[in-house]
Amino acid sequence: MKKILILILMTIVFINAQTPSAEMILEKIDENMTSENQVVTSKMIIHGRRASRIIESKSWSVGDSKNFTEYLSPAREQGTKMLKIDDNLWIYTPSTDRIIKISGHMLKQSVMGSDLSYEDMMESQELTENYDAKVTGTTVIDEVNCWVINLIGKVDNLAYHKRKIWVDKNKYIPLREELYAKNGKLLKRMELKDIKNINGRWYPTKMIFKDMLKRGQGTEFVIDDIKFDQNIPEYKFSKAGLKR
Amino acid sequence: MLSIKLAFRNLIGAGLRTWLNVIVLSFSFVIIIWNKGVLNGWNEQARHDMVEWQIGGGQYWQENYDPYDMFTINESHSAIPQEFKNDIANNEMTPILINTGTIYPDGRMQNVILNGIMPNQKVLKIPTEKLENNSNEISVLIGKRMAKNNKLEVGDYFPIRWRDANETFDASDAKVVGIFNSNVPVIDQGKIWISLQQLQKMLVTPNEATMLITKNVDRKNAEVDGWIFRDHKFLLSDMDEIIRMKNVGGSIFYLILLALALLAIFDTQVLSIFRRQKEIGTEIALGMTRWQVVRLFTVEGAMYSIFAAVLAAIYGIPLLALQAKNGFPMPEAADSYGLPIAKAIYPTYSLGLIFGTVFVIFIATLIVSYLPAKKISKINPTDAIKGKIQ
Amino acid sequence: MIKFLLKGLIRDRHRSLFPILSISIGVTLTVLMQAWVTGILGDMIDFNARFTTGHTKVITRAYSENMQQMASDLAIVGVDELTDDLEKEFPNMNWINRIRFGGLIDIPDESGITKSQGPVVGWGINILTDNGSDIERMNLQKAMRAGKIPTKSGEILMSDELAEKLNVKVGDDATFLGSTMFGSMAMQNFVIVGIVHFGTTALDKGAIIIDFKDAQEVLNMENATSEILGYLPSGKYNNELASEIANDFNSKYSNSEDEFSPKMLTLSEQNDLKSMLEYMDSIIGIIIFVFIFAMSIVLWNIGLIGGLRRYGEIGLRLAIGESKGAVYRKMIYESVLIGLFGSLFGTIIGLGFSYLLQTKGLDLSSMMQNTSMMIQSVYRAKITPLTFYIGFIPGLFSTIIGTALAGIGIYKRQTAQLFRELEN
Repeated sequence: MKKILILILMTIVFINAQTPSAEMILEKIDENMTSENQVVTSKMIIHGRRASRIIESKSWSVGDSKNFTEYLSPAREQGTKMLKIDDNLWIYTPSTDRIIKISGHMLKQSVMGSDLSYEDMMESQELTENYDAKVTGTTVIDEVNCWVINLIGKVDNLAYHKRKIWVDKNKYIPLREELYAKNGKLLKRMELKDIKNINGRWYPTKMIFKDMLKRGQGTEFVIDDIKFDQNIPEYKFSKAGLKR
Repeated sequence: MLSIKLAFRNLIGAGLRTWLNVIVLSFSFVIIIWNKGVLNGWNEQARHDMVEWQIGGGQYWQENYDPYDMFTINESHSAIPQEFKNDIANNEMTPILINTGTIYPDGRMQNVILNGIMPNQKVLKIPTEKLENNSNEISVLIGKRMAKNNKLEVGDYFPIRWRDANETFDASDAKVVGIFNSNVPVIDQGKIWISLQQLQKMLVTPNEATMLITKNVDRKNAEVDGWIFRDHKFLLSDMDEIIRMKNVGGSIFYLILLALALLAIFDTQVLSIFRRQKEIGTEIALGMTRWQVVRLFTVEGAMYSIFAAVLAAIYGIPLLALQAKNGFPMPEAADSYGLPIAKAIYPTYSLGLIFGTVFVIFIATLIVSYLPAKKISKINPTDAIKGKIQ
Repeated sequence: MIKFLLKGLIRDRHRSLFPILSISIGVTLTVLMQAWVTGILGDMIDFNARFTTGHTKVITRAYSENMQQMASDLAIVGVDELTDDLEKEFPNMNWINRIRFGGLIDIPDESGITKSQGPVVGWGINILTDNGSDIERMNLQKAMRAGKIPTKSGEILMSDELAEKLNVKVGDDATFLGSTMFGSMAMQNFVIVGIVHFGTTALDKGAIIIDFKDAQEVLNMENATSEILGYLPSGKYNNELASEIANDFNSKYSNSEDEFSPKMLTLSEQNDLKSMLEYMDSIIGIIIFVFIFAMSIVLWNIGLIGGLRRYGEIGLRLAIGESKGAVYRKMIYESVLIGLFGSLFGTIIGLGFSYLLQTKGLDLSSMMQNTSMMIQSVYRAKITPLTFYIGFIPGLFSTIIGTALAGIGIYKRQTAQLFRELEN
């Protein structure tokens, strides 16, 4: 125990000597993780009180602003599509053949029964613009050395005033993110795992998302396939694309 | 005067027949007065409770406030108008700030309404002094129904999550510092009471409020820009309607009961006119006008109601007084329907109610007594003396 | 002899018509009173039973923890098997499935763009399923304001104030948005085929009704239901019987270790209705007792009066040789006939009025606005088995007692004295 403590203390001292700035780390993450666009096939594993359920989907996205998701399975969900453009969200189901905009109160609902709400999904990821970031230390998660970055909101209209991100020191991949209420209460936690090298990039292929106030085991996302910089036709991100 | 004396003697002379009618009519008196008394008592008590716990002397609502619209509640607060500052300091008025929130007792999510109220207020009966503390944690006050539904006790902690005026999530553990027992469900179910300052801090809306509750009804309520004054008539309209409904529902019962008593009197009148033809004939022969005879019989019939009133007073006053003292027990679940109902209702009988009831029954009796007696006016006295009228 | 008495009664208007009329009116009032009081006091319980609680209700233990939430993820699964078991174990009861859910209704314009939207509570009930047993139970025929009851899958009923708010009419399309039993997005198009008025503002402001099978389909609840309601064969709530059934069921099927095992609740165990129920029983008892008492006195008096006016005739009959006993007996027989006829007419007329009040009801909703309470604005009478014979108690017996008392005078007075009354 004592040994570990000394080791940690030593690393902290050591780190301080050569800690990169938080901005730099975040930039590196961006560099590593964002691409022109990406096409992802993934599974969402939802742990209910009764049973767990797997939902497969394929999504096309351009940056943070545009996203098109189509659900593949189970059969019931097949063909359901969601389109997000900036702050707008539309949903389409083949059985109704209608496009309905999700707004107001509906945005607070959970997505497919997961711990994630539509609002969470809509949230902008432009961290460096909205937050003051600061490296506050280093720690080890699953035998990986990490930076711990604290983000405090710079502007007023953010859903989460404070975030904490654990970043893999070598691969510049976030391994854990926590979202806090303004007065510091932990609200949500994401854990990113199974880092794989895909087309030369390091990418987490599993994420566990958990609402910390609610009972339950949270929701898992598993990426089965991810492709970067694809040629995505523009119609994908139009309302007409939902009906195709 | 003579007819009254005669009528009195005739009635007493008829013995059992008279008393049976009188007993039935006296029931009508007692039951109508009692039933109305219970409703009055409930009405008064409910109004009293609502004034004390919920509405005060009247309320200024921020212009966007609509208690039935959950979507706009978070946008219905603004700065407390300058002209109210003195009244608030003098405890003539108290501000309330309202916002939505989510609580997670035992990890279960529930949407609630957060109410901010000054701990030292003296306008509402809610024991807000319990909210007075200097610690940083959020102290909350809840009603007994809320406590029961969420299995919360004094000293328990549970997480509350809310969004401040900038839509930023905030959350904290709150401690239950008091559970109050009120007959008014509206301030209890789904409501959390927090110190006003605390809630203003939580929402980042310093010095703002959603409504201002006045202490006195007779206060002069000036118009204030951006605020709408809601008086008792508006705030108690639901209550008034329910009482009115109950009154109508009850009236059917009185009507049937009264109809029964009147039927008895009508029958008696018909019979006595039939049996006393000879007497009627003689009276007319002796110089009484027909209308004097009609009057005599009408007075006789109407006198039933006087007798009944006396009889009703003899057994009714102690009975009703006892009820007013001990109250009329109400079932516990009654207030689950949204209106304030105490464990027992203490009926109140106003003089107006008593005299009104006596008057209405008297008039009704007068009418049913007159209808059969009217026939007398067409009587041929000779036939009557011979007893030949059918 | 009855024929003879009848002839007498029919020929002498004073002897028959008048007393029968009086008794009829009195009995009518009694019958109406009983039906009315039972109706208005029982309405709330009955309303609760039909719409929410059933006489007994089977739900999962987890669902029972917080019933208001209508959490469809805590529904009963394997409901077909469970219903079979219930029908086998308690064959006399009526078991029906219902699903309650919440969500949003979205109305499209011609191009399919959202025109209006509103939150709703929904009911999946037996309309096309189980011979439409819930159509009658929930009084849908009477609640219809426009359109018709769904006749095929995909058709819904909407409450009137909601329809007004959303600006829709019969024949319009509506899309339901909600979550399935597993939390997925549930989205389904329906056609509004009818507009209903429930009489409770809370429901009228936002409710839809769909067929049970449709609800199962939309909410992904194959072989699942949120609740199974049980109704006693008599149609009237009986707490002892219901408790017995619930105890029996719970001991066999409910497992306190398994939060998804079924649990049966009686009506009185739900919504704090127990105290309400006891209270109503006692109030109905008191009111009816007081009324019958008053009524008896009145009819007794009428019997008495009827006897008194015939002293002259009796004198004559005694003079021509009838014995006092024979006259007295005949008077009693007559009063039996009068009482019987009067009660019969009175009961028929009273039942008629009660039936009118039971089916049409007395609508007081114009006096009730903007309330969101579960109180009905239409008052109805209720005909129970008691309604059929309650009128005979005062109608027959009081008349006989009155006549018997009046007849005692025959024995007290001299024949001559009675005869003299005839001269009058």
